[in-house]
Amino acid sequence: MNIVLARIDDRLIHGQVATVWSKSTGCQRIIVCDDEVAADSIRSTLLKQVAPPGIKSHVVDVDKAVRVYNNPKYAEDKCMLLFTNPTSVLRLVNAGVPITSINIGGMSFKEGKHQITGAVSVNDEDIAAFKSLNEKGIELEIRKVDSDKKVMLMDVLK
Amino acid sequence: MFAIIVGTHGKFSEELIKTCEMICGATKNVKTVTLIPGEGPDDIVGKYKDAIAHMDTDGRVLFLNDLFGGSPYNAACRLVIENEQYGIVTGVNLPMLIEMVSVQMTDEETDIKGLMEKAIKAGQAGIQTFHASAIAEEAEDDL
Repeated sequence: MNIVLARIDDRLIHGQVATVWSKSTGCQRIIVCDDEVAADSIRSTLLKQVAPPGIKSHVVDVDKAVRVYNNPKYAEDKCMLLFTNPTSVLRLVNAGVPITSINIGGMSFKEGKHQITGAVSVNDEDIAAFKSLNEKGIELEIRKVDSDKKVMLMDVLK
Repeated sequence: MFAIIVGTHGKFSEELIKTCEMICGATKNVKTVTLIPGEGPDDIVGKYKDAIAHMDTDGRVLFLNDLFGGSPYNAACRLVIENEQYGIVTGVNLPMLIEMVSVQMTDEETDIKGLMEKAIKAGQAGIQTFHASAIAEEAEDDL
């Protein structure tokens, strides 16, 4: 699998992803990697039917995402991976999936989180996961769309 | 780069661009022309000319109008009839505008008729339906 974009965005497939990122990355598949969403049949059914034209969308749990990554059948496929949180990304990375850069598009505010930029709010678990990813040398960049200037997450996580 | 002018009745065009920018980020070479009650065809033609004069255009101007046969469209026709590098597409919607804004960033080749064709396709493709019965019919395509 050729990972053309790994993005954390808890809105998952929405306007920015369906129109801008799907085009700029030229991906063939959008794979939502999230245990909770994969277990929710209504959410995953709805996500599967909002794939942009010509692109297939899938919803899998993190363990399955690792198996899909390692499946030689998909070796040539250009895929966009979508996550709702950095802990899922860390699990994938720890399972040996090579991700060198993570785009953070949106993490909505909820009780117990604090807002670090307009579109990104984090809790303690998120911070710990981001720190681990950073220690592995993975770039953590905040951008809503392709043409935005990258803001480095570690710089605003203070 | 070709120029995009969204010409509509009222402030639809201004709000449509703001909405488009929520999704694709700031636009560069897109202007709006609004028809305000009381204005006539000459006012609109003047506004179009003024918009074009203030845009970076390689000659090609794509007018996206709200309503076929409406005043913003009729006024655009008066400019388009005199310039083969100008073209109009009506029924502007958000998918159409998003597509043309992204084409604008990358495309240097397509002639105005090709651009008009792309706008129509994107506008039509953006109209979809969803009903609960669709789920059962859908063939599962699992990884």
